[in-house]
Amino acid sequence: MRPAAIIGTGQTDHGRCRDDVSQPELIREAANRALADADISPADVDAVVLANMEMFEGRALPELWVGEGAFANRKPCLKVATGGTSGTSSCIAGFHQAASGLFDVVLVIGFEKHSEGHTQTGMALTDPFWDRGVASGALGNFALSISQYMAERGVTREQAARVAVKSRRNAAMNPHAHLKDANATIEDVMSSRVLAHPVRLMDMCPQSDGAAAIVIASAEHAAKLCSRPAWIKAAATRHEQPYIGDIDRRLLTMRTLRDAAQSVYARTGIREPLKQLDVAEIYEPVTYAELAWYEVLGFCAEGEAGRLIEDGITEMGGELPVNPSGGVLCANPVGATGVIRVAEAAAQILRRAGAHQIDGARTALATGYGVYAWADALILGSTP
Amino acid sequence: MNERISVDVEMRQSWRYASGAAMERFCEGLRNKRIEALRCEGCGRRYLPPRPFCGNCHLHLSHWVPVAQEGVLEAWTVVCLPFLDGRTGTVRNGPYGMGLVRLDGADTTLNHYLAETDPSRLAVGLRVRAAWRDDLRGAIDDILHFEVMQ
Amino acid sequence: MRHQVIIAGLGDTESALEDSRSIPEMVLAAVQTALADAGIDYGAIDSVVTASVDLFDGITASNIAVTEVVGAVMKPETRISADGLAAIAHGACQIWSGAYETVLVVAHAKTSMARYQELTQWAMDPIHVQPLGVDFLTCAGLQARLLAHGDAGADRRWAQIAADRRGRASRPLAPASSVEEILASKPVALPLRQGMCAPMGDGACAIVLRGAATGAQGPVLRGIGYDLEPHALGDRDLTHWHGLERALQRACKTAELQRAYAHFDFAEPSCLFAHEEELFTAAVKLREDTEISADGGLLAACVPVVAGMSRLATATRQLRGAEDGGRRALVHGTWGPVAQGQVVAILEGTPL
Repeated sequence: MRPAAIIGTGQTDHGRCRDDVSQPELIREAANRALADADISPADVDAVVLANMEMFEGRALPELWVGEGAFANRKPCLKVATGGTSGTSSCIAGFHQAASGLFDVVLVIGFEKHSEGHTQTGMALTDPFWDRGVASGALGNFALSISQYMAERGVTREQAARVAVKSRRNAAMNPHAHLKDANATIEDVMSSRVLAHPVRLMDMCPQSDGAAAIVIASAEHAAKLCSRPAWIKAAATRHEQPYIGDIDRRLLTMRTLRDAAQSVYARTGIREPLKQLDVAEIYEPVTYAELAWYEVLGFCAEGEAGRLIEDGITEMGGELPVNPSGGVLCANPVGATGVIRVAEAAAQILRRAGAHQIDGARTALATGYGVYAWADALILGSTP
Repeated sequence: MNERISVDVEMRQSWRYASGAAMERFCEGLRNKRIEALRCEGCGRRYLPPRPFCGNCHLHLSHWVPVAQEGVLEAWTVVCLPFLDGRTGTVRNGPYGMGLVRLDGADTTLNHYLAETDPSRLAVGLRVRAAWRDDLRGAIDDILHFEVMQ
Repeated sequence: MRHQVIIAGLGDTESALEDSRSIPEMVLAAVQTALADAGIDYGAIDSVVTASVDLFDGITASNIAVTEVVGAVMKPETRISADGLAAIAHGACQIWSGAYETVLVVAHAKTSMARYQELTQWAMDPIHVQPLGVDFLTCAGLQARLLAHGDAGADRRWAQIAADRRGRASRPLAPASSVEEILASKPVALPLRQGMCAPMGDGACAIVLRGAATGAQGPVLRGIGYDLEPHALGDRDLTHWHGLERALQRACKTAELQRAYAHFDFAEPSCLFAHEEELFTAAVKLREDTEISADGGLLAACVPVVAGMSRLATATRQLRGAEDGGRRALVHGTWGPVAQGQVVAILEGTPL
C-alpha cells in the first residue's frame, strides 16, 4: 500500500440552521478553511470526493449542483454515500485515490444541511419490505439495542449521562461544535425528556447543518507541502447485513467495528489500544454507543465501559481522551460527521486542534458508523 | 442586511418495489396466519423475514421452515416521539412499544410493534405472541403488534 | 510502477423496460455471472464498489438493497452515486493504491419503479432552475436546439444515427424504426423527438477487476479519467463536450499514451440522445475506422447508472472476440444534465 497523508482540515461552524448560506456556500466555507490550513490554492487540488446523504435534503446526485462550492468544476469529482459512514468512507476513498498515483492532492468534503430537508422522511425510506412499515428511525432502533446492552452488561443511565456531560464540556472548547455546555451535569442529562425509553434528549446526537473537509496528499507531495503531516497508516471498512433483526445483539457484538479495528490495529502494531493510542475520535450517535464502542474497540474488557467513563480515563486529561471535539453528540451533519472524526483526529496529529489539543498526540484512531452496523476505522500517525 | 430568501420545493414521489419470490411466498403465508422462515443450508440460520440469499454463506435460500406465532422479546423500547410511516407518509404518534422478537423456530429477530407501552411492564426475555388484524391482506402489517403473554 | 488492472469477469442482466425481479434478485444474477466468468467465488473478493442513486431507487443508502448479494457482509464496500463507469474508476484506484487485489464493481437501476424523468429535476439547482420544472430531458432539448441552429440537416442526421444504432441491436427497448418514422415520432423536447432518445429500462451489471499479480486474464484497464463540468447551463459551452476532452486527456496520461496519437479500434460512447454521438466523436477525434456502439449502445437500450458499465461490458466482449487480441477500446460514461459528469476508460486486449 502506497502511503498518503492529511495536510489540512477545515470545518464550518456547525449549527441547527445555517440559513445564512446555500448548500454550495456551506461547502465552500469548509473547503476554503481546509485549503488555507494546508496552505494550498484550489488549483493545487487534483480531485474532489464528496460525501452526503442526499435523501435528507431530498436531492439526487447533489455533487452536480454543489460541486462548484467544492472547487470541483472541471475536475474529477465523485460522491460517496453509505449512510452514516459516508464521511469516513469518503476519507478512505480519498486516501485510496491519493495513494493510487492517479492524483497528488485530493480534497474530501462531507456535508449535510438537515434544515433544508426532512430528515425523518430520509430515515423512514429504509428497506421497503419489512423495515419501512415498522421503522422508528435511528432513535428507536438504538433504544432497542440499548435495552439488550443494559440487560447484559449492567450499564447504567448515569454512566451514559457521563458520556453526554463529557461531550458537552469538550465541545465548549471546540469553536465548530453545534451543542456545547461547559457546565452540563449528570442531572441535566437524566432529567432531559425521554425520546425512546431509555434514551433521553441529551443522550442522542442532534441534526446539524455543516460541512467538513480534509486535504489528502500523496507521500511525495505531503512531505513537500507539510512539515508535520498526519499519515494515514491503515484504514478498514466492514459492512453488515442490512436488516436490524439479523444482527445478533448489535451493541454487544458489533462484529464490523470490532473486525475493522482489529484490522487497523494489526497493521499498525497496536496491541493495547488504551495505552498505544493518544486520542480517539469515534462515531457515537448516542451516549450508550460510546460505552459499547469502548468495549468493541478494545479500550477495556467487556462490561468495563461504565468504569472507564466513571474513572475519567476517556476525559481530556485521561489516559485515552475520546472525542475531545465533543463528538457526534455535539455536532451531526450526517454526510460530514465521519469527515469531522477524521479531520479532528488529523488536527490532533497536525497539532492544530486549538483549545482541545491533546499534548503530544502521535497516534490517533477515527471511526465511522452507519446504517444498522456498518463501520469504518482509520489509524493516523505522525510518521509514515 | 437584506432579507433572507428561501425557495420552497415540495416533493411528491412514489415508487413501486418488486418484492421478490421469497417475500411473495412469505406474504401469501401471512394471509393465512402462517409464518415461515428460510433456512440457510450452509450455516443453518433460519431467516425471518425471508430473503433470497444468505449474506454470510453466499448461498441461495430455498428451504422453508415453519415458525411459531410466539417467541422471546430480545429487545424493547417505548418510543415517545411521533414517527413517519415510510410507506404512506402518515405519522404514528407516540408513545408506542417497539421490540425485536425472536419467534420460536427462527434465528433472526423481527422488528415490530408491541401492544404494551408501559416501560415498567417490559423486559428482555419476556414471552410475546403475535396479534393479527381482522382483515388479512397478505402484507407485513397483517401482524398488528406483539402482546406480552401472561 | 502502477499495478495492472485486468477486466477479469463480467455479468449483466438483459435490459428490460420492466424487470419483474426485485433489486437484489436482479443484481444477484449479474454478480453470479461475473464471478463465474472470472472463475472465482465470493471469497476471492477483497472489496466491493457499488453504484446506485437513492432517489432513483426510493431508498435511503440504497446499497442496503444489495449488500448481501454483492458479498459485502464483513467486507469493504464503497458506494459511488454516479455512473457505474465512475465506480469502475474508483475500483481501479483501489487496486492501483495497493489496498486490494480483487474488486467487484456493481451497478443497478430500475426506471420502471418511478417516474424517472421527473426525478431528474431533483438533481437540478433547486434555487434557480428546479422551480422552473427543468429536468435532464429539457436540458438536452436546449442543447440540441443550439446545435441545430443554422444546421438544416441536423435532425435528419440524428434520426439516421438513432435508426442505425437501434437497427443493429438484438433486443432494443424501443422498436427499430426508419429515419422517416423517427422524424415523425412524438416531439419530446424539440428538436428532439422520442425516436432520438435512449429508451430507459431496468438492469444490473457486475464487473470483476483484478490486479495482474493474481494471474487473471483479460483486457487491461490502461487508463481512466473523469471530470465534472459546471452545473449552470449558462456557464457551459453546450456545443462541445469539453468535459470529455479533459477526461480523455487524464485517461491518456494514466495510460501513458500520447493523446494525439491514441487510436481506438472500438468506441463505446454513452449517448442518451442521438446528437450526443456527434459531440462524442468530435471531442475524441475518432478516426473513421473506429467501430462505434457495436451492440447499438444506449440509443437501443439504456439503464441509468448501469449505462457506462454496460459500455465497458460490451467493449470487453469486443476485445475478447478480436482475432489478433491486441486491440484498444475507448469506453465512455456520463451522468447529470447534458453530460455534466464525464468518465472514460481505455482498454487494451492482450496481444496473442
